Amino acid sequence: MSWRSLSVLVPFLCGLFAVLISNLPLSLTNGLIPAPLLALVPIYFWCLVRPDLMTPAAVFGIGILQDVMAGGPPGVWTLSFVITYAVIDRQRDAFAGLPGLGAVLGFATAALITCACAYFIIALYYWQIPLISPIVAELAMTAVFYVPGAYAVGLIHRRMVGPLRSEP
Amino acid sequence: MANGTWKIARRSNAQLPLVIVMALAVVLVLLGKAQPGLFDRARMSLTDGMQPVLSVAHAPLVQFDRWIGSVDELFSVYQENLRLKDENARLRQWRNVAVVMQDRVKRYQSLLHAVPDPGVNSVLARVIGRASRPFLETMILDAGSSHNIKAGQAVVDARGMIGRIYLAGSRTSWVILLTDLNSRIPVSISPGNRQAIMVGDNTAMPTLDTLSQIVTLRAGDQIVSSGDGGLLPPGLPIGTVVEQGGKYRVALLADAASSEDVEVLAFRKPPEQLPASLQLPAVAAGLPPATATPPVFTIAPEPPAAAKPAIPTSPPASPADQADEDR
Repeated sequence: MSWRSLSVLVPFLCGLFAVLISNLPLSLTNGLIPAPLLALVPIYFWCLVRPDLMTPAAVFGIGILQDVMAGGPPGVWTLSFVITYAVIDRQRDAFAGLPGLGAVLGFATAALITCACAYFIIALYYWQIPLISPIVAELAMTAVFYVPGAYAVGLIHRRMVGPLRSEP
Repeated sequence: MANGTWKIARRSNAQLPLVIVMALAVVLVLLGKAQPGLFDRARMSLTDGMQPVLSVAHAPLVQFDRWIGSVDELFSVYQENLRLKDENARLRQWRNVAVVMQDRVKRYQSLLHAVPDPGVNSVLARVIGRASRPFLETMILDAGSSHNIKAGQAVVDARGMIGRIYLAGSRTSWVILLTDLNSRIPVSISPGNRQAIMVGDNTAMPTLDTLSQIVTLRAGDQIVSSGDGGLLPPGLPIGTVVEQGGKYRVALLADAASSEDVEVLAFRKPPEQLPASLQLPAVAAGLPPATATPPVFTIAPEPPAAAKPAIPTSPPASPADQADEDR
């Protein structure tokens, strides 16, 4: 297997790593502030920049790991990630054209779709309306972590994916 | 990035796989509903594998939390000291009352030949992780099935019950907290020994579903585990009833966020044994013990119509039927 073909795996591995980091059961705030959905950053980034590297199957795999690590009912985050991916994929031109603060708002919109999907799936799953404040806090934290997250995946893209795989 | 926007490389042609993947994800959710423990083995394998890392990484975080807490407490040391002295004096009085009452209960139990409560074994475990996800409130302990920890067992700290074991791996276990959305605990409300179900809803104070419509709750009522179901020991202190916005909730005694060392209670109510035959009332009265003999059916020759048998050959009627006939 050549280095070039290995570069296909970099976005997927970044997604898995983000899931592992964000789901470590360690907190500096005694659980007061929830961990962000870091896995959404590589999904959003590569879905816009190189969708051939972040395929639906890769998103499905990242979602499954998120479900395993997060500890909730199976499939909730998988389905939420896949739905978000579908929306980003259909609106790529609109999302990718957003500059500066607009880019953060674009990502926040994607995170809102993910969190709203997870909330409604959980509501249907348990057949009761869950408390909304934890998911709002999760959404806010995810949006806040977009800027450093996007910087990190941008760096990985330029240093690892770019040189190994020529841009079409 | 060019002019502040990302360069789009090529449009995805993955519409068909996307539909298939979405269908698979829906199937996964439905499978998860039918079989909630679908990922349990993978979860426990991952947590068991991370146990050494979590144990090492958790210690500095605890120190950091303590340092932050100590900085915060510096400004209220004097007031806190006065409050603690007052509380200590009152608790000493209550301790004396409790000792007297305990002695009295023991004497009553011996007079009444009361069956003693079954013994509870416990395993001391250390909290090595906490996860506060939007739909799951959990903590991870550094003891698992290799320490005889099983799913469903109660987890307590020095102040009261925290939750129960949700998943038990070989070296780690997950605790579902009393505040979690999935938590349902049968409780008893004192005074009056009223039964209720304490339901977590991801807030700091769980709600109470009383089993009877005529139960009236009052702020300050004590909540303990009722022991219904035989999995949790009865009488574990849980919290007190508080009124919040016209609704009654439970202010928990234990603080799961600050607990570091907890006890896992290995309690299982022993199945009720039949008394020995010598203890049966009939035997004690000098009568032979009743033996369950199967009814014997014999086919008698057809008697003449005028002389029908007095004893029916059909199986004996039930006592209820017999009573109806007598009437």
